[in-house]
Amino acid sequence: MRIFRSSILGALLMPALAFAAASPQLVLPDFTALSQKAAQSTTITLDSTLLSLAGRFLDGDDPQDAAAKDVIKGIKGIYVRSFTFDTDSAYSQSDFEAVRRQLTAPAWSRLVQTRSKKTHADVDIYVMIVDKQAVGLALISSEPRALTIVNIVGSIDLEKLHKLEGQFGVPKLDLEPQK
Amino acid sequence: MNNDLESKLKHALRPVAPSDAFTQRLLARVAASRDSRPQARPTASRITRRAAWWTSAALAASVLAAVGIQHQLQTERERTLGLQARRQVIEALRVTSQKLDLAYQAVRTQSVGGDRDSGV
Repeated sequence: MRIFRSSILGALLMPALAFAAASPQLVLPDFTALSQKAAQSTTITLDSTLLSLAGRFLDGDDPQDAAAKDVIKGIKGIYVRSFTFDTDSAYSQSDFEAVRRQLTAPAWSRLVQTRSKKTHADVDIYVMIVDKQAVGLALISSEPRALTIVNIVGSIDLEKLHKLEGQFGVPKLDLEPQK
Repeated sequence: MNNDLESKLKHALRPVAPSDAFTQRLLARVAASRDSRPQARPTASRITRRAAWWTSAALAASVLAAVGIQHQLQTERERTLGLQARRQVIEALRVTSQKLDLAYQAVRTQSVGGDRDSGV
């Protein structure tokens, strides 16, 4: 009887769990311990309300603001956790394993994976595509002295994001995306 | 002679009751002058009415001022929040763009036989 009840409960909860797993918004763990260790930490949580509010204060005549305004047009949320450390190996893989565990197929597809033997900088970019449209982006960048997790929810134009290169203090590298 | 004059004067100045017409005229004039004279002091009810009017006016002004101040504070709060959100958007896009560049750079380096192991 107990097994039967558990099965029914499981069957009822399964769609809810599947839906939660398929959400483009990641459940970001509490990085308090990591931010205490970090020399510099950035925590950004922007939901749709704050994004639309920010949009009203972005000046369309300013090139940087105009670019930002254009990028956030279809975005429903931006979540950034970034930590910079004074020493190497200040964090471990387990610190962001909870995030990586959520980025699984079929909901998420890994778009880019880079591993540098020289600088030990790894960047993984995941996208969630629904009806041929990117509805979520996740980026994990782990460097010896820096860890960055970015989660963008909403329709994302990677081309537009790439065009931000040269703005916001990022040097223009004249890069072309891989064909 | 003196007695004659005295008696004549007494007769002329003897007390005489006023005629009815004179009394009516006098009373009418007194009443008219009382109506035209301005009120020297307002009555208690008039003072109360005036105080109530001023109280209401002051209350209405206070409510208007409170609503105005509240609106001003709300606008100021919204502006502060909006500017903070704007800064966060810029910072978030800067970080994202920077890390995307890192990936693009790695992909490009790999394509020309660099040091990275990357996959797209």
